[in-house]
Amino acid sequence: MQRPLLILSILLTVFSTAFSQVLTREDSLSAGLIRSNNTTVLSGYGQLKFEYDAKLKTATANLTRNVLFLGHRFSNTIYFFSEMELENAKVVGGKASGEISMEQLFLKFSLNRDMYLQAGLFIPRIGLINENHLPTTFNGNDRTFVETFVIPATWREIGVGLYGNVRSLAGLNYSFAIVNGLQSGGFVNGSGVREGKFEGSNATASNLAVTGSLLYYYKNWRLQTSGYYGGSAGLTKRQADSLQLKSGPFGTPVALVEGNAQYHQNGVSFRALATMVSISDAFEINRAYANNTPGKMIGYYAELGYNILRAFKTDTQRDLTIFGRYEFMDLNYNIPENGIKNGINHKEYMVAGITYRPVHGVVVKADYVMRHTGSRNEDLIVTPFPQQLPYYTNNGFFNLGLGYSF
Amino acid sequence: MRDTCTACLGTAFLGFTFSQLTSCSSLPVFKTNLSGKTVSVPFTSFAESKLVIVRDMQVAYDILVVKKSDSEYNAIYMKCSHQENPVTATETGLFCSAHGSRFDLEGNVLKEPALHPLKKFKTETSAESLVIDLNS
Repeated sequence: MQRPLLILSILLTVFSTAFSQVLTREDSLSAGLIRSNNTTVLSGYGQLKFEYDAKLKTATANLTRNVLFLGHRFSNTIYFFSEMELENAKVVGGKASGEISMEQLFLKFSLNRDMYLQAGLFIPRIGLINENHLPTTFNGNDRTFVETFVIPATWREIGVGLYGNVRSLAGLNYSFAIVNGLQSGGFVNGSGVREGKFEGSNATASNLAVTGSLLYYYKNWRLQTSGYYGGSAGLTKRQADSLQLKSGPFGTPVALVEGNAQYHQNGVSFRALATMVSISDAFEINRAYANNTPGKMIGYYAELGYNILRAFKTDTQRDLTIFGRYEFMDLNYNIPENGIKNGINHKEYMVAGITYRPVHGVVVKADYVMRHTGSRNEDLIVTPFPQQLPYYTNNGFFNLGLGYSF
Repeated sequence: MRDTCTACLGTAFLGFTFSQLTSCSSLPVFKTNLSGKTVSVPFTSFAESKLVIVRDMQVAYDILVVKKSDSEYNAIYMKCSHQENPVTATETGLFCSAHGSRFDLEGNVLKEPALHPLKKFKTETSAESLVIDLNS
């Protein structure tokens, strides 16, 4: 009787010793309390959503994503960061369902206290949501639509990036990165360049991209501008020539510029972003792949929120924010001669809702999304499905969801 | 028409940004050497500003010292409590450029993803200087 207890206590001791090396909070690594090297940290974030379609009168419930963070400190200057994401709860072989992918995996090398390099699969500083995509950091159940379709967040590629801040001007930060380019053969009309990303999976690194940003903190403002310029042919010269595409590191280029601003003070929050994507060889891409690539896409949004708990108590850690957001995008802003315009690519969204944070790291969200688009171009439906659902140019979606990060 | 509007908005945004940049200055930096487990900062360092960045090359991150009164100071370690990135100090708070966390001049979290406040060191005042205890 005593022997099993002894074995159990030994096992518990062994396991507790082993697991005491693995901390359960991503930020324990950085709390400054752990000074030893070789520290491994486990953490994560995720969100789930219930959505009701007001026109079709159907609803869906989905575990949108769960992301596991694993970090390790090799020394005081070298760190490892990784995020593995499971979307839509499960992945079933051979069926269209969820997706499992590496959202980030890079090594970070601190050069000095003002500069660091990171190399691997990482998310460049482009837009707001791209780098700051935790569900606890934005209002609404969905990431902003402009930063889903025009800026394809979360946009990660393999490369090397230099990040730093300017000593002589407090608040000014910069970044510069070289990453692999896009694949124009993957572009899909209506989703911009989103499907042309490699996301670290067998990227054709014969085409490259450069991206850079300036970020400035001034009083209660965060102001940022960034740009991206990269090739999208991803082919050998012989293949590119046969398709009449420009090859080389920056051949068949995609360019993106954006500017954004955020403000936070006394419970008031404001954020706005404007962006444009230019694909100068869209005609050649359409000639090669017939994927109806646009020449230009634009998008912008503005959001205003207020933490109504601040009206009653100024020092509360809880947060009950009401917000409203307007978004506009035109994914067919400019189309080449061989492109076909589709009205549904001209979109407006009006989003209103509440975000409740009972503690740091947990959010409960409710919002209503009104979507207005142009008419669908029926000529683009080559083989219509007999039971195809009608397309509503005006529709509404009620969303309820949870999010967490720890 | 839309091209013109977009160009105007972009120009206005950049113009506003850079007009604000030129009106700013950096926070004073006091370079020092670690003595035991403490760092001393002479009170004269606060002549220009109530915020001083203390830099010791033996300490991995800078320390922001905030003078609240003649006898009360905050010494905040400028390491983000989220993913260890160095934070940027301004006269209104501390910001992490990597993921957008924001802290007040007490080190408290104002904006996630950071969940925990920045580390603060205990301070003591002597006749002519502020002593920061890095062991605290």
